[in-house]
Amino acid sequence: MGKQVAIVSAGFSEHASKRSDVNMGELVSEAVEDCLKKVPSVGFDDINAYVNGNMPAFEGSNIPELWMTDWMGARNKPLMRVTTGGTTGGSVAIAGYYTVTAGLPGIDTVLAVAFEQQSQGDTSVGLASVAYGEISILNTLGISYDQITRLLSAGAAIGVAAYQATTYMNKTRITEEDLARVVVQNRHNAAKTWWAHLKMPNLTIEDVLDTPYVQYPLRYGMVCPASDGACAMLFTTEEKAKDMCDIPVYVNGVASVANESAVLGYDGGGSAQVDPSMQLGAIRSSELAYAQAGISFPRKEIDYAEVYAPFPNQELLWTEKLGLFEETTAPEMYKNGVTALKGELPVNCSGGVNSTNAIGASAMERPAEAALQIMGKASNQVPKTVHTSIGSGWGGSLNLITLMAMSDQPQRKWR
Amino acid sequence: MEKVGIVGYNQVKLQSDANYGRYEMIFEAVRGAIDKAGLKKKDITTVISCTNDYYDGRTISNCFTVEVGGGYLADESKVEMDGAHAVLYGLLRILSGNHKLAVVWGGSMPSCFPYHTTRLYETDPTWERPLAYVNDITAAGFQMRAYMEKYGVSKEEVANVAVKNRKNAAKNALALEEAQNQNITVKDVLNSDIYADPVTELMVAQPCDGVAALLLAPEKQARKITDNPVWITGVGWNQETYYLGDRDLSGSKSLELAGKMAYNAAGIKDPRKEIQVAELYEAYAHEELIFTEALKLADRGKAPELNTNIKGDLPINPSGGAIGGNPPCGTGLIRIIEASKQLNGEAGTYQVNGVKKAIASGQIGMCAQNSILYVLEGGN
Amino acid sequence: MDEKVIVTNKGLVKAEFAFWVGIFLDKFYDNLENKKLIGNECPKCGDVFVPPRKICGKCNIVIPFEENWVDLPETGELMNYTITYHKINDRSDRKVKKPQIIGIVKIDGSSTGLVYRLLDLEPEEVKIGMKMKIQWEDNTKGDPSDIKGFIKV
Repeated sequence: MGKQVAIVSAGFSEHASKRSDVNMGELVSEAVEDCLKKVPSVGFDDINAYVNGNMPAFEGSNIPELWMTDWMGARNKPLMRVTTGGTTGGSVAIAGYYTVTAGLPGIDTVLAVAFEQQSQGDTSVGLASVAYGEISILNTLGISYDQITRLLSAGAAIGVAAYQATTYMNKTRITEEDLARVVVQNRHNAAKTWWAHLKMPNLTIEDVLDTPYVQYPLRYGMVCPASDGACAMLFTTEEKAKDMCDIPVYVNGVASVANESAVLGYDGGGSAQVDPSMQLGAIRSSELAYAQAGISFPRKEIDYAEVYAPFPNQELLWTEKLGLFEETTAPEMYKNGVTALKGELPVNCSGGVNSTNAIGASAMERPAEAALQIMGKASNQVPKTVHTSIGSGWGGSLNLITLMAMSDQPQRKWR
Repeated sequence: MEKVGIVGYNQVKLQSDANYGRYEMIFEAVRGAIDKAGLKKKDITTVISCTNDYYDGRTISNCFTVEVGGGYLADESKVEMDGAHAVLYGLLRILSGNHKLAVVWGGSMPSCFPYHTTRLYETDPTWERPLAYVNDITAAGFQMRAYMEKYGVSKEEVANVAVKNRKNAAKNALALEEAQNQNITVKDVLNSDIYADPVTELMVAQPCDGVAALLLAPEKQARKITDNPVWITGVGWNQETYYLGDRDLSGSKSLELAGKMAYNAAGIKDPRKEIQVAELYEAYAHEELIFTEALKLADRGKAPELNTNIKGDLPINPSGGAIGGNPPCGTGLIRIIEASKQLNGEAGTYQVNGVKKAIASGQIGMCAQNSILYVLEGGN
Repeated sequence: MDEKVIVTNKGLVKAEFAFWVGIFLDKFYDNLENKKLIGNECPKCGDVFVPPRKICGKCNIVIPFEENWVDLPETGELMNYTITYHKINDRSDRKVKKPQIIGIVKIDGSSTGLVYRLLDLEPEEVKIGMKMKIQWEDNTKGDPSDIKGFIKV
């Protein structure tokens, strides 16, 4: 029970605000090709099962994997679809891990694919309809539909991030400059990542602050883009991994825990409603994943992190909540270069979600990039050797945090 | 494959228009399953839900169901296919060794949305969808005709399945009231409205409101929780290619391959002899015949000759099957629950005698493009 | 029993979608607008797809865009059909008075079937294996509706 799982490859399609040259199937096939070309000994016949996901509201397609079967090479193969909103990519990666570790007869090599082609739909409608059933009663009080999506929040709409930002800033007393600094670091990193979307090597803090507010304290310059793109990861067993790549990346801990359901400012209960920066989900997920992975001191033992953060305050928040930095000290770490490419604990050298956000895929791109850093094959590779890394995902006002802890050493399973 | 135990289950009564909301329904199903098993909320380590954004008319349709599904501060995820596929993910999580108790629940409320329209959204948006000639209704018609043409099966033989399942449903207190009919005849079925010729309305598994939940545990824990665990000894799942023009609709390649995988894992060499009861998710009466053959319970074209009544040679869908009530995202899960009831001797008036091994299937997509099969065994 | 006030809120949330078809289908639709049917051929197994595809599902290889195009005739064979009173669109499903006959037609020289209406036929006249021919719309637009349906040869 419980085989050791390794990641042997990760691939991406090009991300852009409009991938008008491809339909959904072709977009996904690009990521699959990129993933498989890095492991030339693996062909489609070697893949035993597939796991897929995206956020279906954005493309107006229900269970699109059914149509895209051939484009992924999945004809007559076992296929499972996992979708969890903004964390879909992370959940798909975790499901890929579970499909291998379960050790079913004949299932040892699994391709996990996540994608989004947001340019085909209306992102704000897709996001708002998370809670529209609950909050539509406000229409009867005279509040219009677009106002609702700003005032209240559910799903990954900016409203949730804004509440997280204000409660976080209340504890840490940081300024907007601290937020802008995170954005600048991400966009500079994205410029060196071939598949990223917003490549801005010359962005400055002043540029970011010189944009109007979307919703205090977040300005247009700080907001993540809406991208089209796909990502694929190949999972297999420890035994097979050795023949497929030089440095297999062992998946040692996974978790995806949620807070309470909360429509901030209106409905729901618990800590998510009262203090969105408390993040019980992140705390619990990291407890579970680190315990599985045998990580006792995350700050010392983790060499690299890809933290899911569409908005800069979230990167500061989760680097703390996931145990990388002491509470309230994350802004200092960014100021002092600790999280830079050459720093002690580099974060988001791919540019993170702040530079590229294809919602269904972005939570998978975090563990994918974190794995590539261990392999030494990332686009914007850090100079130091990475032994242990983490990739996280976040979804909604219920703060579902997916977390994957990886290392170049397998962790013998605990019971 | 290591054994995983089904240690509890619960299903709400299926209704065509339930007078309560989805949160209450989910809570009823999940809380009921936990209570019946004598467990507590804190025992749950992982929850897998099965809902569909288009059916629920909301993005991330499982997001506000975290608490009612028992998932608060538990490691949870969601499968967007049939409830039977969600059980697969629960199974994988148990086999990983990371979890000791998994809750799997699924269901939806078709009284609140236009079902056929949401099925239309599964089609290829770049070619087929604008004209909507390919949809779940026409797909059913194509499938039945392909099967009848290839093997010379008659409409009456197909209608027989609908009659059997509706009579069986009359014995199942949880089945959909509109589907239950003790006195239905083949003529009634053939004279009902045309759905997509040659399929008639009474041959169709009518979508209805419902939610079901079941609990999974590893072998050691399962024996602590209940004296009657039902063991999942084999599982297989498979997805065929998409375009109807590329497929042979007279058979089910996906279920054939899924069955092969499941039988292999469970060590089943001669399913016809070793299986005592089957609960198959048949979206239409003809699908039950096609699936019976794909699963090697009958030779190709010979399924109508098999006596699948409750007292017959190989009972199929003694609970009434999907024709007895089809809550999308829950139907496959209910088939697993019904098969488990048979193994535990809990099926009351539709109990089959001497059940040691059972199979249960689920499906998703046009003409069961993706199928899943479980082999279940009872006793210690 | 007291009277209860129930608030009903009726409204429409508009969600518009526009799908990219990709370069293969783009070329196909350009030809369709000129009342020409084209497909592409897998270089490995020889299967011919209409509409054309980037990937051959059997061989799992990419069919290069520059070559492998096949001109296809307007004729084909009826593989399957059904008759239905249900009409579905992206808002609702309703029943119509006159049923539609929908068929799967395999164009001569291709390996897959097109699903379209069968026109000018009574249900009794339809037989599997019939020879069919495309009937084009008069004003083509470069989308799937350019093929009005199939008629008997």
